[in-house]
Amino acid sequence: MLVAKLAFRNIFRQRRRSLLTGLSMGGGYILLALTISLVEGSYNNIINIVTTDHTGHVQIHKENYLERPGIFKTLSRGSGIENLFANEPSVRSWAPRIYGVGLGYGDEKSAPLSIVGIDPVMERNTTSIFGKVRKGNYFSDPVNSDGYYSVMIGYGVADMLKLSIGDEIVLISSGADGSIANDIYRVGALIGSRDSYEKMTVYLPLEAAQDFFSMKGKVHEYAVMTSHPSEAWKLTAVLSAIIDDPLVTVSPWQVVEATFYKSMEADKQGNKVTMGIVVFLICIGVLNTVLMSVLERTKEFGVMLAVGTNRLMVMAMIILEIVTLGLLSCAIGFLLSLPLVYWFTHVGITMPQPIDMGGVIYDTMVGEMGAAIFIIPVVIIVGSAAAVSFIPAIRAALITPLDALSDR
Amino acid sequence: MTKYITLGLLLFSLPMSWFLTAENLVTDTSANEEKAKKLIQQVDDMYRSTASRATMTMRVQTPNYERSMTMESYTIGEEKMLIRILAPKKERGISTLKLDDEMWNFFPKINKTIKVPPSMMMGSWMGSDFTNDDLVKETSLTDDYALSLDESGEIYVITLIPRAQTVTVWDKIIIKVNKENYTPIEQAFYDEKNRKVRVMSYREPKQFGGVILPSVLEMVPLNKTGHKTLVLYDKLELNAEGVEEDLFTLRSLKRRLR
Repeated sequence: MLVAKLAFRNIFRQRRRSLLTGLSMGGGYILLALTISLVEGSYNNIINIVTTDHTGHVQIHKENYLERPGIFKTLSRGSGIENLFANEPSVRSWAPRIYGVGLGYGDEKSAPLSIVGIDPVMERNTTSIFGKVRKGNYFSDPVNSDGYYSVMIGYGVADMLKLSIGDEIVLISSGADGSIANDIYRVGALIGSRDSYEKMTVYLPLEAAQDFFSMKGKVHEYAVMTSHPSEAWKLTAVLSAIIDDPLVTVSPWQVVEATFYKSMEADKQGNKVTMGIVVFLICIGVLNTVLMSVLERTKEFGVMLAVGTNRLMVMAMIILEIVTLGLLSCAIGFLLSLPLVYWFTHVGITMPQPIDMGGVIYDTMVGEMGAAIFIIPVVIIVGSAAAVSFIPAIRAALITPLDALSDR
Repeated sequence: MTKYITLGLLLFSLPMSWFLTAENLVTDTSANEEKAKKLIQQVDDMYRSTASRATMTMRVQTPNYERSMTMESYTIGEEKMLIRILAPKKERGISTLKLDDEMWNFFPKINKTIKVPPSMMMGSWMGSDFTNDDLVKETSLTDDYALSLDESGEIYVITLIPRAQTVTVWDKIIIKVNKENYTPIEQAFYDEKNRKVRVMSYREPKQFGGVILPSVLEMVPLNKTGHKTLVLYDKLELNAEGVEEDLFTLRSLKRRLR
């Protein structure tokens, strides 16, 4: 207790120096908190965009469909899986899908494209597809007077086949029963942008796609949404435990979008280097301060040791001094960074040049608010300051009283 | 005398093409030449430039699906062939026209005629184990392959080996024929590593207009387990009347079935 008292008092003996050290630690704290907040915020924002764009939080497939897609790797609709979604409270929404490739014909041109069958209502509740409709109407009329289904096409398809709203598009592919799938559809909407991922995609209503590919009652994929992307692993574990079928694979978005996830993780490592530099600079400042104060107080330590103070206590006192100062700086830093982080989280910086991510406009850089964002910098700063002050503290503890007092 | 034989014809108007094969065999082998030639002559007279009309059922079996189609086919000579799918309803009216070595498919639903490009020739025909090439192949077997005739018991065994500097799909074809009534029994196709890749067998002889011919063709690809295609001849009319040249045009291909 005495040590703590002494340490606390010592901070206020050299106020100016303490203030400067405190400023570097407090400034470091604010810098770290903001960096972490922005990094987490931006990534969570991108993750949100990616998962709500089309991936979903968790996907369910037959066997290894993800690595080796095949038209026969299907799941049956109306099976236990769909009941499971209804009964599992953490499932917020889900959507069934069919994937295929085919040849599309406009009036005179043809192009290879990917064909995706989606349930208009369920897909709308699960992903941001509805918001990506640029022209026309989202699956407005199921079947028109000629018996043609209304479909949505990407801009690449529209450009290559010279199609616009209301035109007919002919699709040819091979069906799951070996038949030649061929049918005419009406272009009901243009979706995404010229460089979004669905630019060469045709979206069919699920029913039409099942008919086209001769896959009645079958789907290739279920996309499932839970409350937050970070819950994906948990939901994956829950779902695969209940489904308990080796032929059915449940994968979180981290696996589905493995490339994205890995590059994001690598990017995060890069950010750690930046933070490391900040911490390094703080450490140098702290080391300097502590060394100075130990040097200045050589005589004082000599007296303390001469009157029988435990050497460990001297060491503890010096470290405690810096820890206390660190905590005080962090507290002030916290008070200052709170409104900043709050502003970044709720307002953010509007980017001068919006980034179009697969048809989803990413235009503001936002932060993230959370206990971790404020606690992690405290741990880093106080921890590294304490570690750095070990060297001068050991030096102080090893002082010989005679040498110190004789002023040699 | 016609010099060419097409696998397609073997398939879809098998009687005629079979005997044409036999005829080829005669021109290239010395053994039994006179005897064979004589027989073939007879047969050839019987079948030459036959116009045929057939109704058949094709059954495709794979591990993933099984389906059945009924279709009608018309041929004149070996250069011209038209096939129309009658059932199932979803595919009704899909037609294939072959003129010499070219081939078109017509899809009534989308009202489109699509030429089968050379790159698709080894692709499956309507999801079956027959390739487009099987239907179209105009490569004359006698031009591209050297024939040799062997006898074993009741069977003639004809081996076809590609001649030097010809581009062929198969590295060897072995055809087995019944000595007695000249009906084909089996055709085996070998790849360049001398592996038997697929076997087409002829079964269940039936009377078609005075001639007894196998009514079931079975194609089994040996490299794809669980795959099999059966063609069952329900009706076969040889020297059919009403099968005219103008049936084999792109215009006629696009005529819709009622």
